[in-house]
Amino acid sequence: MHFVWSSLVVTIIAFLILYWLLSRYAFGPLFSVMEKRRELVKQQMDEAALTRSQAAQYVEDQKAALQQARKDAQDIIEQSRQTSNRQAEQLITQAKEETTRLKEEAAREIESEKNKAVAALRSEIGAVSVQIASKVLEREVDAKAQDQLVDNYLKEVGIRQ
Amino acid sequence: MHESPMINVGGIDFDLSIIIALIVSCAVVFILVKLATRNLSVENPGKLQNFMEWVVEFVQGLISSTMDYKKGKPFLSLGLTLIMFIFVSNMLGLPFGLVFDYTSVEKATAFGQPLTSVVDGLAKGSHGVEVAWWKSPTADAGAAMGLALIVFILVHYLGMVRNTKSYFKHYFKPFFFFFPINLIEQFSKLLTHGMRLFGNIFAGEVLIAVLLKMSGVWYGAIASVVGLIVWQGFSIFVGSIQAFVFTILAMVYISQSLETEEDH
Repeated sequence: MHFVWSSLVVTIIAFLILYWLLSRYAFGPLFSVMEKRRELVKQQMDEAALTRSQAAQYVEDQKAALQQARKDAQDIIEQSRQTSNRQAEQLITQAKEETTRLKEEAAREIESEKNKAVAALRSEIGAVSVQIASKVLEREVDAKAQDQLVDNYLKEVGIRQ
Repeated sequence: MHESPMINVGGIDFDLSIIIALIVSCAVVFILVKLATRNLSVENPGKLQNFMEWVVEFVQGLISSTMDYKKGKPFLSLGLTLIMFIFVSNMLGLPFGLVFDYTSVEKATAFGQPLTSVVDGLAKGSHGVEVAWWKSPTADAGAAMGLALIVFILVHYLGMVRNTKSYFKHYFKPFFFFFPINLIEQFSKLLTHGMRLFGNIFAGEVLIAVLLKMSGVWYGAIASVVGLIVWQGFSIFVGSIQAFVFTILAMVYISQSLETEEDH
């Protein structure tokens, strides 16, 4: 094996031509496309990260909204329950008042009827006692008169009968 | 060992097998890269584009492992060309050989020029001269040293232009009288850089040639086939490793010449 100087020179020339050709026609576009792809991937990854955080945010929001809705529903139920309770109480109270009122009215009526009856009785008694008193007084006037009075009275009673 | 097909043009000896191999290597690399970068796509890269991008990223990794990638970015194209060219060159001699046996001076011509190696061999009294037309260009010391010389010149040019002060200073580190040693170191770097590549590939091809010669008898042929299978597989490995080593050494030398602070 001997050293051939021309091979050395030819190799250098060939390599430099290849280097020039590749740099001129192949590597430029390749590197720029690789750069673009890197940017694309980076951009897509950024977008994905953004979307993910947004999604997480949405989920969080939805959870909060759901919680709120649940709470609202609870409140509404509670409120309506309270309202109905109050209404029921009101109705009961009203009914009670009504009955009390009716009872009192009835009692009052009874009272007044009783009073009326008592008054009527009292006036009757008064009249009867006056009559009795007059009868008693009549009898005291004389025996004869008294007899006659009794007779009259009896007659009167008999007639009435 | 086979002779090389030498011709003499204008007083200069040319090794035709190396020139052919160089042209084929350059063509293969260029066509491969051109095919890979023909339909470049940002969104939907093809297989070849993916392959090229893998190669580019591999060389980027080499560069960033030896120096700051911002500094080394301009050498990406160089590294790519080096690794692909050397890899293809190393593989070139493996799959087959073209050996012609020349017995007469009249037949031993190429491009109208006599093959001087055949003429010399026949003049010395040989019956026939076997000429190998097909081999790896990197199995030639001249070609391997040419590649190493490109890197050597680039490294020293960069050192002188970009890094003038510390470049000249480092020849006298750590003491003034280390100058001859530093000088030898520089040239030994050049030599080892080229010779490592040449030696590995040349040895591989020599063994392939030896194995081919064994196939004269039937048991030799069997051994030859078995040996070739093993050795060619190993040669593919060696060729890849050498392409990698050559490229990373080139990057190491470049990074050394670009270092501003000589603290090693």
